[in-house]
Formats: sequence, structure tokens, C-alpha cells
Amino acid sequence: MGILKNILTAVRGGASEVGEAIVDVNAVRILEQEIRDAESAIGKAKQSLTSLKASEIKLKREIHVAQSDIGDYESKAVQALDAGNEALAVEVAERIAELESDTAEKTAEHSSLSAQVNKINSMIRQREKTIQKNSRELEKIKTVEQLQKATSTMSTNFAATNASDHRVSKALDRVKKKQANWEDRMEAGEWMAEEENNDDLDNKLKAAGIGANSSAGASSVLERLKKQSGQ
Amino acid sequence: MSLTELAFKLNAHTSAEDTRFDAVLSANGVLEVSCSNNEEFPINIVKTDTQLLAITPLFNLAEVQADKVDELNKELLFISPAIPLSSVGRQGDTYILFGAMALDTIFENIVHELEVQAENTLDVLQAVEPLLL
Repeated sequence: MGILKNILTAVRGGASEVGEAIVDVNAVRILEQEIRDAESAIGKAKQSLTSLKASEIKLKREIHVAQSDIGDYESKAVQALDAGNEALAVEVAERIAELESDTAEKTAEHSSLSAQVNKINSMIRQREKTIQKNSRELEKIKTVEQLQKATSTMSTNFAATNASDHRVSKALDRVKKKQANWEDRMEAGEWMAEEENNDDLDNKLKAAGIGANSSAGASSVLERLKKQSGQ
Repeated sequence: MSLTELAFKLNAHTSAEDTRFDAVLSANGVLEVSCSNNEEFPINIVKTDTQLLAITPLFNLAEVQADKVDELNKELLFISPAIPLSSVGRQGDTYILFGAMALDTIFENIVHELEVQAENTLDVLQAVEPLLL
């Protein structure tokens, strides 16, 4: 299911008004239910897989034991024949035949179990794909819902103001003015800092006795006046 | 990080670029964030299961000059790839600028995204202003 296609169909059908559900609530419920069903099926499948796998391992072990026993009895039958004990060799051969028959049954059962295990594994993978796919679809729906929610708040504000009255231009002008004020303040701050630096330099020069004549004060003026009057 | 936690952190934060934030969580679960570098166009943040969506509603279809809608749509499609971290789109009759972040995005990167989105909003609006009423 292409959820984006459904969303566009809804939009084309006129479901674009603020607050109007753009996606059928039932579609969301169906997707959520499918995800839950798939998760539940996976849980059950994993349980039966565990039990089947245990049986498969047990059978495999029994087959190996039987094959080992067959090899052992074959060796013993040859030894009985070599010793000329035909009757004992026949008895051993009968046991070997029983074991081979039992092994054949277990091997068939093992093959069947292996096939079932593979089938369940494949089913689990399939269900997991379904969950991932449905989760992605659900995420798209939720994204559209959230977008609608986030947009509706401001759209209501648009409607409250007079939309045709250059709202954007006026807002941009206000931003530009604020930015200009901020830049002016920054410039003023830089000027002030520079002034303070200059003051520091003057103080340093004064402390070093450089350029201090201009601020000699009343004593230097009195000295000058005394010289003028000939005293 | 929950939207409540994000609001708390944003309100106490000043970015390296000296941007401050006013974040208010509304009753319907939308976090409205006003950035000091663009207080006129707040950013609405919502959360889904996998992402944080930052959405700035730009203007309504009714605010576009009637004979310029096609031109506006073309221009927006053209400039969208050039906008860093944001995309433009339309939700109903509202044109939006939006960005998406993973839920585990660290706070510093969310701040960066919001600052850039606030600037992008001004850039986009200045670009298409001649086509608006």
C-alpha cells in the first residue's frame, strides 16, 4: 500500500482544510493492528521454532549414535565370520538391519523437521518485513498528522490577521529593524570599548610623565603669570 | 529528550552566536520556539516515533498574488535544495519551511538546526516577497 498516494488522493479530494483528518483513521488502525498481529505471530513462531529445533538436534544426535553403532556391529560381524561363527554373524547382521531401518526413519523425520524449521524461519523473516514496512507507512501518516498539528496553530494566526495586508512584508521589515538596532548597539559597544582603550593609553602616558604638560594645572599657570609680571 | 525537557533547556540557553530562545509547549503537544534572530516567524516542533520535526509556517495561499502561484511553486522547488538543513513544502494551504532530526539528536545540534532554520525563513521570504500580496 502506497500511503503517500492515499495522502495525495485525500488532498486532491479536498481534505486540506486545517483540522481535517488527511488520513483515514481506519487506515491507521488497520496498520497498527497488522503490526500487532505480525508481532504476535512472530512470538508464537519463535516458540514453536525453539521446540522444533530441539527435536531436530535430538534426532540428529540419535542418528549419529545409530550410525556409529552400525559401524561397530559391522566390524564385530566380520570378526565373527573370521572366527567361523556364522550363527553369531547372522545375529549381528539382524541387529545391523534393525539399526539401519531405525536410522532411515529418523533421517526422514529429521529432513521433515529441518524443512519445517526453514519454513518457520522464512515466515518470521516475512513477518518482520511486514512489520518494518507497516512501521514506515505508519511513520509517514504520523508525520503528516504532526505536520498538520504544527501548521494549524500558526494558520489560525494567519486567519486572525488580515492576510492580504502585507503581513509577510511588515514582519520582514520588523526583523530588519531589529537587526539594524542590534547592529547599531554592537557598533556603539565597539566605539565605547575603543574609547576606554584610548583612556587607558592616556593614563599610561601620564604615568610615564609623557605629554603631562597639558594637565599641569594651577601651579603652572601661576608660575607663568609671575614671570609675566616680572616677579 | 522530551519536548518539555527541550523547552526547559532552550529557555536557559544562549547560543555561541548569541541567539536566545523562548520555548512554550502548547496543550496539543506542539513546542513553539521563538529565536531571537527571527522573532516574527516562530518554529513549531513536534515529535513522532522516529523524528523531531521543526516547522515554520511561512504564509498562506491567500497571501500569494493570485496569478503568481505557479511561479511561486516553481521558485520554491528551485531554491529548496539550496537551503541548508531545511526544505520547503506545503501543508494544506500553508507554505512551510521544515527540518527533520533524529530523536537522538544532541541538544547542540538541535540549537544549530533552529538557528539555521530561523535564518533560512528570512532568506526564503525575502526571495519570494515580490510574489506575495
